[in-house]
Amino acid sequence: METKIGVFLCNCGGGIKNIDFDAAREKVAKIPGVTCVNLSSNLCLEEGKEKMLSCIKDENIERVVVAACSPEFQEHIFRQVLENAGLNGHLFSMANIREQCSWAHEGDVTVKAVELIKMAVNRARLLQPVEKKELSVNREVLVVGGGFSAINAALQLSQVGLRTTLLEKEAVLGAGTGELGNLYGSDTSSMISAVEGDENIEVLTSARMTATEGKIGDFTVRIRKDGEEISHKYGAIVLATGYQTELALDSEPKLRAEDEAISGGNIVSQEKLCRMLENPSLEREPKTIGFMFDFSDENSRFPTLATLNNALAAKQKWGSEIYVFCKNVKVDGEGVEGLYREARDCGVVFLKSEAPPRITAEDGRVEIEAKDVLLGEDMILACDLLVAEELLLPTEGTEVLSSLLNIRRDSKGFYQDENVHLYPIASERKGIFFIGGCRGDLDLGRVLTDISSVVIRVHGLLSSGKIVVDSERVKANPQKCVACLTCIRVCPHGAIQLVRVDSDKEVAEISDLACDACGICAAICPAKAINFEGYTDEQIVAQIEAIGAP
Amino acid sequence: MSKEIVAFCCEHSAYPAADLAGKLRLDCPENLRVIRVPCAGRVDVIHILKAFERGATAVLVLGCEDGACRHITGNTRAKERAKYSEMLLKEVGMDNRTVDMLNLAPNEPHKFVRAANKITKRIKESEEAR
Repeated sequence: METKIGVFLCNCGGGIKNIDFDAAREKVAKIPGVTCVNLSSNLCLEEGKEKMLSCIKDENIERVVVAACSPEFQEHIFRQVLENAGLNGHLFSMANIREQCSWAHEGDVTVKAVELIKMAVNRARLLQPVEKKELSVNREVLVVGGGFSAINAALQLSQVGLRTTLLEKEAVLGAGTGELGNLYGSDTSSMISAVEGDENIEVLTSARMTATEGKIGDFTVRIRKDGEEISHKYGAIVLATGYQTELALDSEPKLRAEDEAISGGNIVSQEKLCRMLENPSLEREPKTIGFMFDFSDENSRFPTLATLNNALAAKQKWGSEIYVFCKNVKVDGEGVEGLYREARDCGVVFLKSEAPPRITAEDGRVEIEAKDVLLGEDMILACDLLVAEELLLPTEGTEVLSSLLNIRRDSKGFYQDENVHLYPIASERKGIFFIGGCRGDLDLGRVLTDISSVVIRVHGLLSSGKIVVDSERVKANPQKCVACLTCIRVCPHGAIQLVRVDSDKEVAEISDLACDACGICAAICPAKAINFEGYTDEQIVAQIEAIGAP
Repeated sequence: MSKEIVAFCCEHSAYPAADLAGKLRLDCPENLRVIRVPCAGRVDVIHILKAFERGATAVLVLGCEDGACRHITGNTRAKERAKYSEMLLKEVGMDNRTVDMLNLAPNEPHKFVRAANKITKRIKESEEAR
């Protein structure tokens, strides 16, 4: 028996003017399988939805087509109507006769509208139900890192009731943040003691991740601590591994920021300057200090903030003369413009130069030579201390971690930060998130935003202990699968695994939890074994077949 | 023979762009038929060839910008498939049929309309030349 298809036309409250709905209705009624055609002007309002629901029930409709606005707006609402009428929400197709037909063209477009409806009906005829199922997830979270963002994230995750493990490679927490106390304002030591007193947080120091497998809700992580390997299950993994810095000076080999003596100790990093500022018994207070930033990296929010903070601190503590060499001062962070003004009012001099200054160091003094673009003249400044420009780089373990977790990195080696569709904190694999410096250069305000977003996302995913997913929407047919591994290689979300069905056969299995329904595997499978319900080859071809058909 | 242009639109970028083009009342060729796909990477060679079998004059595959694909590699795979299909068409002597792959963002309706109009113009010119 032919599948009964119900078509609901809607003129969007009179918003569609150039389609003759009565003529369209007549033509649509003649399409094979269409048992009823309804005309409405307010299908997405309560009235329209009630009418639609009763019609589906009365006429025993098996597939529903709505011809109205773009599916971007109301698709989920109509699917809910289907569910309420006792029909599977996936047995639904939309024809976009508003944005891509009526509004896109002038003059009468009834013919095109009918063709679009035919395409939707052809697709609807082949749709199959997709059941929903509930899967339980592990409610524990692993936070990798032991710095400001990792500690803060662990505290917040524990506050929302999720058990958290902090995994730190150093022997103590906050090893890298001690020198940056001045920058972060709040002291990390009170946060560390809060972590240690929290029953919900387990701290693993001097520990490293050695292997991971599984997917969101069910990651199995192997951790090596004190020569022993332990294995534990987590629902989500948060990476907050931070960054490291390197002085951006033309020297060979490249100087690390931690290096103590650089040409007699008068070219230093921001971190070293912070330590000097904290030292109450400094041998000789620098009288003139030069700063540099924004020459080798355009994205200089963090160095700008550090420079302004430290320049002000040095001015207050030592009363030194301070000159800042930069290309541009970027003040788009929270409170940065205020800091910049305060620095200028205190007498910090900002010098704009297009090219990086030339540095010469001798006899314990540093000479900075630059062309000031505003004066148009060459300047030479002799100073006691130069705080050099720093490059922000990913930490050493980033590469290893990314290959363990099978996630991509950007051109600089940081975790992805560029993909607008994934949002800054999410990776391409569900259940793995990034915070702060490990995904690129960031200032404090952005790190705090990251932490909040990650806590909300993780809480939303894991707090109930269950996730509702589409069951077998994308499925590899075990009869057709020849285990060629192509889909496993191409899946961007790491959702496909090989499972053994009997002693001599292995087939690909797509995890309902990890799958993001892109269909790349379905397109690439050489055996055409993967079925992506809603976008199967037959359903797409059926739409094409309606095009231009008489 | 029908003269439709079939556009496979990724639901994360090109489909919203096409919607926006309609909202802005941009002048779009009427023979354009949009098929919504979850990712440009879902579009297979068979879909493109089927469109030509049904008499389409051109096929457009539209996906996210380079490096900003919702599914990471979908747009690059689509580009390769579009190239491959064009090669197949050339081999069987249907070299007046074109398959274009274009990257665009959801807020670029003008780029969408420009691409569609450019193809319409190209088809017209090649018909006149014959």
